[in-house]
Amino acid sequence: MTDREVTHPEERPPGYEGRSSTVGGEVPETEHLDPEHVIDELEGIEAVSRSFGRQTWDRFRRHRIALIAAVVLFLLTLAFVVGPWLSPYGFSEQDFTALNQGPSLAHPFGTDTIGRDIMVRTFQGGRFSLRIALFVAILTTVIGTIVGAIAGYFGGTIDALLNKLINLFLIVPALVILLVVGVRWGATPNGIALLLGFLLWPAIARIVRGLFLQYKEQEFVLAARAAGARAPRIMFRHILPNTFGPIVVNATLLVGVAIILESTLSFLSVGVQDPVPTLGNLIEKAKGQIDTKPSAVLIPGGFIVAITLCVNFLGDGLRDALDPTARKG
Amino acid sequence: MFAYVVRRVLTTIPLLLIGTFLVFTLTAISGDPLARLAQLDVDQAAYDRLIDLYNLDQPIPQRYVSWLTSAVQGDMGPSPSQGGQQTFDLVLGRALNTARLAIPAFFIIAITAVTLGVYSAVKQYSKLDYFVTGFSFLGISLPTFVFGLLLQVIFGIWWFDWFGARPFFVQGMRTVAQHGWLDMVRAHVLPIITLWLVITASESRFQRAAMLEVINSDYIRTARAKGLPRRTVILKHGLRNALIPLVTIWAIDFALLLGGAVVTETIFAWPGLGRLLLAGIFQQDLNLTMGVVVFIAALVVVFNLIADLLYGVLDPRIRYD
Repeated sequence: MTDREVTHPEERPPGYEGRSSTVGGEVPETEHLDPEHVIDELEGIEAVSRSFGRQTWDRFRRHRIALIAAVVLFLLTLAFVVGPWLSPYGFSEQDFTALNQGPSLAHPFGTDTIGRDIMVRTFQGGRFSLRIALFVAILTTVIGTIVGAIAGYFGGTIDALLNKLINLFLIVPALVILLVVGVRWGATPNGIALLLGFLLWPAIARIVRGLFLQYKEQEFVLAARAAGARAPRIMFRHILPNTFGPIVVNATLLVGVAIILESTLSFLSVGVQDPVPTLGNLIEKAKGQIDTKPSAVLIPGGFIVAITLCVNFLGDGLRDALDPTARKG
Repeated sequence: MFAYVVRRVLTTIPLLLIGTFLVFTLTAISGDPLARLAQLDVDQAAYDRLIDLYNLDQPIPQRYVSWLTSAVQGDMGPSPSQGGQQTFDLVLGRALNTARLAIPAFFIIAITAVTLGVYSAVKQYSKLDYFVTGFSFLGISLPTFVFGLLLQVIFGIWWFDWFGARPFFVQGMRTVAQHGWLDMVRAHVLPIITLWLVITASESRFQRAAMLEVINSDYIRTARAKGLPRRTVILKHGLRNALIPLVTIWAIDFALLLGGAVVTETIFAWPGLGRLLLAGIFQQDLNLTMGVVVFIAALVVVFNLIADLLYGVLDPRIRYD
C-alpha cells in the first residue's frame, strides 16, 4: 500500500475517507460556479451575520431526507426506551402457557420457544443494539481522533505505526478477529462494544490524520506557534475545531457500521448471548423457525435496516451541512 | 519491475508475521481446545494427543514458533475437528467451493457497479442518478444476513422451488454430471445475489464519485473541444482514468470474496471457506483457523500486488523501479 504512487493519503482532499467497510466515502468534487451568477447572488444578499450553528441548521434543514431520517431515528429511540417500560411483560419473563405463538392481541409480535414476548424483546433488543452502537461510535471517535491528531501533527514513529496497523487490518480482516475474540469476550453488550471500538478506530484515525496533515501547514497554525502556543494547545484549540465536521459525520456513520457488525456477529452466535436481547441475536434465535414463523426474523431485521438507513441518510445530511466544501454532487 | 514485485512481497512478510501471530495468540487465549474433549467422554490418551499436537504444555510464543516452522515448510498440520484431515487439503477443497460463488459474483458486481456509477455520473441529478443513489444507500444499510434471509423467505418459503433453495438446508455441492446445467446454475443464483447487493452498492458510489471528478477535469473539456464525440470522450478518456481508484477496491473485494463469505455461506448452507473458518473458531481448532486466516491473508497480498501492477497498465505515467 505504501508504495502506491497514486493514492498517498496525504494527497487526498479532506473529507475523503477511502473505504472503511461501509462508512461511505465520497471524493469531494470541485464546485463549478458561474462567476456572473455568484455576483448576482451576492448583490441580492444583505449582510446578516449568522452563527455557525445557525448556518449548519439552515443547510441541514434543506436536506429533506436527512431531516425525515432524524425524526424517524428519534421516534425509534423513543420507542426502544419507552416500549419495554410500558410493556406488561419483562424481556426475560417467561409465560409457559404461551409458548412459541404467532402474532396475537396479547403478544403482537408473538412469543418465542420459551414463552417470552417477542415485542418487548425487540424493543429491549433495539435499546441494547443502539446503546452498543453509540458506545462504539464514541469510543472509536475518541481514540481515533487522539491517535490521528498525534500521527498527523507530529508524523514520525506514531504515523508509521498507524500506517502499519491500517495495512495489518487489510491483511487480517476485522471480521476474522472479531469472530475469534467475540466467542469469549463478546458475550455481553459492553464486551462487544469494547471489541468493536478497539477494531474500528483506525478508520477515524486515518481521516483525522489527513486533516491534521493539511491544517498544520496553514498560516493560522504558524501564527499560533509564533505567539508561543505549545503543541497540545495548537492541536486541540486551533486545529481540532476545524476537523469537527468530518469527525461528527463519520461518528454518525459509525453508528450504522456498529449496528451492522454487532448484529452480524450475533447472527453468527458470536455476539451478545441470551437472555440479553439485541436485534441480531433475536434473529439468530428465530432463524431455526424461519419456515413457520418468518415474522420473528423479518421484524428485527426490519428494525436493523430502518436504523442503519436513517443513520446513513442523517450522516449524509450532516456532511452537507457541516462540511459544505466536501459536498457531493 | 521484477525487482519491484520482489520488494513488495518482501515488505509484506513482517505484516504477515505480525498478523498471524496476533490471530494465533487471540485464538489461543480465547478458547481452550481441551474443553471440547470434556464433552466427548474420551480417555486420557485423546487429551495427550491434543496437548502434543498443539504443544499445549508450552507458552504461546513457543507454540506459535513451532506452528510457523512447520507452516513455512508447507505443513499446516491436521485438523482435529474435521476428523484429523490435513488442513491444507481442507482449505483448498473449500476454496474451490467458495470460488464457484466468488468468481461469477465478482464479475457481475464489477460490471454492474461500473455501469451504474458511470451512468449516474454522466446523467448527474437525473432520475436515474437519484435511483442509483437510493439503491446504494439501501445496499449499504442492508446487512448481508438480513438480505440473505429475506431472499430465503421470499424464494425459499413463499415461492418454493424457484431456485431449489431452503433456508440453512444442506444439499451438498451440485455437479453438472449429476444435476445438469440448469440445476447447477439455479443453486448459485441466490447466494450470488446476496453477495452482489452490498458490494455493488458501495462500488457504484465510488465509481460515480471517481467518474464525476474525471468528467469535470480540463482534459475532458479539451477532448470535447477538439470535436471528439461525447461517447468516445466518456468511455475512452474518462472511464479509463476513473477506473484507477476502483482497481484498489476491486482487489480488496475480490480477495475477500475468495476468502469466503461467512454470512452468505451460513444462510445458504454452502460448504465454503467461511463456514470452515466458523467451524475452526467454534470448535477451538487452532490449525484450521490459522489455515483459513493464512489463506485469506495470502489472497489479500497477491491481489493488492496485482492491483498495483494494473495501475501501470491503466496509467502509463506510473513506473515501477
